[in-house]
Amino acid sequence: MSDKNTLPGEKLKPKKTFSDYWSKYSTVLIMALMIVVFGILQPQAFMTGKNLIKIIEQSSITILLACGEFFAILLAGIDLSVGSTMALSGVVSSRLLGLGWNTWAAMLVGIIGVGMLLGAINGGLINLTNLHPFIITLGTQSIFRGLTVILADSRPVQATGFAQVFGGKLFGAIPIPILVALLVASLLTFFTLKSKAGRNLYAIGGSKQAAWFAGINVKRHTMLAFMISGVCASLAGMVNIARLASAEPAAGTGYETFAIASAIIGGTSFFGGIGMIPKVVLGGLIIGIINNGINMVGLSSYYQQICMGALIILAVTLDRFFGASSKKR
Amino acid sequence: MESNLVEMHHIEKKFPGVTALRDVNFTLRPGEVHVLLGENGAGKSTLMKILSGAYEPTAGEIVVNGERFERLSPKLSQQLGISIIYQELSVVNELSVQENIFLGRLLTVRKLGVTVVDKVRMNRETERLLGEIGLHCGPQTQVDALRISEKQMVEIAKAVAFNSNVIIMDEPTSSLTEEEIEQLFTIIRKLKAAGKGIIYISHKLKEIKEIGDRVTVLKDGEYVGTHNVSDVTIDHLITMMVGRELQNKYQSATREHGGQTEVVLEVRNLTRRDGYVRDISFRLHRGEILGFSGLVASGRTETMEAIYGAVPVSHGEVLLNGRKLRIRNTYDALNSGIALVTENRRETGFFHNFNIRRNLAIARQLKDSKQGGLYGLVSPRQEKAISAEQVRAMQIKCASLEQSITELSGGNQQKVILGKWLAAGSQVIIFDEPTKGIDVGTKSEIYKLMRRLCEQGVGVILVSSEMPELLSVCDRILVYFEGRINGEYAIEDATEEKLVYSATVAKEDAQATA
Ligand SMILES: Nc1ncnc2c1ncn2[C@@H]1O[C@H](COP(=O)(O)OP(=O)(O)OP(=O)(O)O)[C@@H](O)[C@H]1O
Ligand SMILES: [Mg+2]
Repeated sequence: MSDKNTLPGEKLKPKKTFSDYWSKYSTVLIMALMIVVFGILQPQAFMTGKNLIKIIEQSSITILLACGEFFAILLAGIDLSVGSTMALSGVVSSRLLGLGWNTWAAMLVGIIGVGMLLGAINGGLINLTNLHPFIITLGTQSIFRGLTVILADSRPVQATGFAQVFGGKLFGAIPIPILVALLVASLLTFFTLKSKAGRNLYAIGGSKQAAWFAGINVKRHTMLAFMISGVCASLAGMVNIARLASAEPAAGTGYETFAIASAIIGGTSFFGGIGMIPKVVLGGLIIGIINNGINMVGLSSYYQQICMGALIILAVTLDRFFGASSKKR
Repeated sequence: MESNLVEMHHIEKKFPGVTALRDVNFTLRPGEVHVLLGENGAGKSTLMKILSGAYEPTAGEIVVNGERFERLSPKLSQQLGISIIYQELSVVNELSVQENIFLGRLLTVRKLGVTVVDKVRMNRETERLLGEIGLHCGPQTQVDALRISEKQMVEIAKAVAFNSNVIIMDEPTSSLTEEEIEQLFTIIRKLKAAGKGIIYISHKLKEIKEIGDRVTVLKDGEYVGTHNVSDVTIDHLITMMVGRELQNKYQSATREHGGQTEVVLEVRNLTRRDGYVRDISFRLHRGEILGFSGLVASGRTETMEAIYGAVPVSHGEVLLNGRKLRIRNTYDALNSGIALVTENRRETGFFHNFNIRRNLAIARQLKDSKQGGLYGLVSPRQEKAISAEQVRAMQIKCASLEQSITELSGGNQQKVILGKWLAAGSQVIIFDEPTKGIDVGTKSEIYKLMRRLCEQGVGVILVSSEMPELLSVCDRILVYFEGRINGEYAIEDATEEKLVYSATVAKEDAQATA
């Protein structure tokens, strides 16, 4: 029975096809293309170190949201409530700050008490009702937004204290939001690649049924995924109020689109089970580059929307033909 | 001389790192059933996918109805009158039976100058087809609600509905019941009489004599030969496909039970909340292989799911080595030492997005973890060791551990699933139709392995619809009838007749007539 093909230890180097390269490097490729295009259009302003750092800083909120969104999409679901979660946690923290709380304590409550809790509510409802996450988070998106507006009394809430925490720069050059996004992305990369829970999430994304029969507690992991999404969104909320020195009740409206777009441009499969955090970060950066570059070129922000929309469709179409999911029969 | 429906000449197919087919020839005549035979990974499905247009050959030519082609596309193949039943179920769970059958080629009618879907005719057609294949469900039944064997019948109906000249059937019977297989054979005979050509792949060798006219054998991607079925014996065919003579295919290793009273697993009054099985009680002794016989849908799989915690149980208890277990979900079962090798490979067996290594290691990783798998880190070294060992033990034919499981042949995927559970190191392993789609040579290896596990003190349960398998492997057989245990036989006095009897006549009725 055994023949030359069966030796498992032997490293057989299969010939790489275009499809293999594409599924590996598509995101980097798109990003390089963007940089080249804007670099040619605006050589002086775009390609400066200062501008590049600015792009990353502007992208940090999108990246944080996208890192959380990634987990919802990994389970073949979606989280539409990240924008609202971001706003609600921001308003709660600012209110607490207004009540004279310590900055760190207020932030901690915003992240753990609000972000994680809202994520748990999403996860809990999904587990309880067995409805698609799209439905549940469409509902909670609206509920969380409503709560935000009530709590903020329809007005921006002052939050100057946070600017001190997030406003600074490391070594006088690297803005703190970048560090936060980088840290979160690194932690989550480690989590997805090295932890058993991370592996299980991929398994559930591949086949919920098979995961259940393999002994994975699907409900607990679903809960976990949405809690991570909630925490990431509330971190984005903290970065946002620090940047603006106030919590806007309408903050983050429509940001779920950015988050979903980043995850998808970053090669996360909508069918679940396929994707990587580092690529999602690149996806977030690509969106940042588009926004920044189009601004630089002097076009109105409506072109950003057109560009981003086209890119989503392009990325998914190309993935359909060449990506990892094209191989699955 | 009659002209051939299909001719395939010097076909070669290379995948990255593997040559799946090398210089293979194949012909199909009108009105014949041509059986394609070979071990797991021999290249049968690949050859058929080339004919159905799913794969492009790297070399060779295909002649259909006298027309030459370098390659086909799925559409072209369909236009040429070729339809295929893939080895892996490809029905869409979310659609109805009728929608599945007419997927992609809805019947239409012109009404008021507009072309619309002809629901009436499709409904009628579906009903006729369902009647013909003997599937008792309405055209609007959602496929989700069907059992795996019924899904397979829908798949068959779909292929027949095309009214093609060539029908390829890749292991159509691997998950069918005896009755359904008979239905299928009736259909095949009808198709044959109508002058259609049928290509038939199966690992159930006795079917060859029953339905086949000619047989072509492949080995490791190479063409071995073509014979008239009437000219060869089964043993001869086995020798051709395995490359050596196989001794006693079905004789298991020595049995030495008797006097063994130590109970490994005990189930008391197990009742599912949905009522599919009620009041199930039995004991599994150390050193014995316990068989579960019965018709499909008689409650065997349903019982195993309940023991394994996959479905809610309303009452009853499960004891392992005399200790009562608290099983609320599959993780609890796995963690306390019970493994269930499920029968539905595609839906519950493996992860298409994982490579072979990850698929093989996941059960063990979970078993070693805490909190339902939430805590703990993956150990790449352990993962490699586990998977390399299983690839060797199960003789999985693959290019490397990093290969995606979707690239393996059907039988080899099944071996990965078995390997995954063996690697978990459980105290009780429940095998639900484990040899489905597995070639003869490996089958006997698996029986030996079960015996070996058993000798090491692992409790082994075998659920199987193949009576020769149960009779040769098990020490004791329980027979199910309508959701409960209706008969028990020690292997010494078990016969196929008795098993069939207990599977079809209620205990009470039997006593009344006696
Ligand atoms: N998409 C693919 N990529 C790489 N290798 C493949 C692919 N499909 C099949 N193979 C390889 O080609 C060989 C033949 O596979 P094939 O599915 O034709 O076997 P088979 O005879 O149908 O076996 P089985 O009885 O198990 O179904 C195997 O070694 C398999 O691993
Ligand atoms: Mg096959």
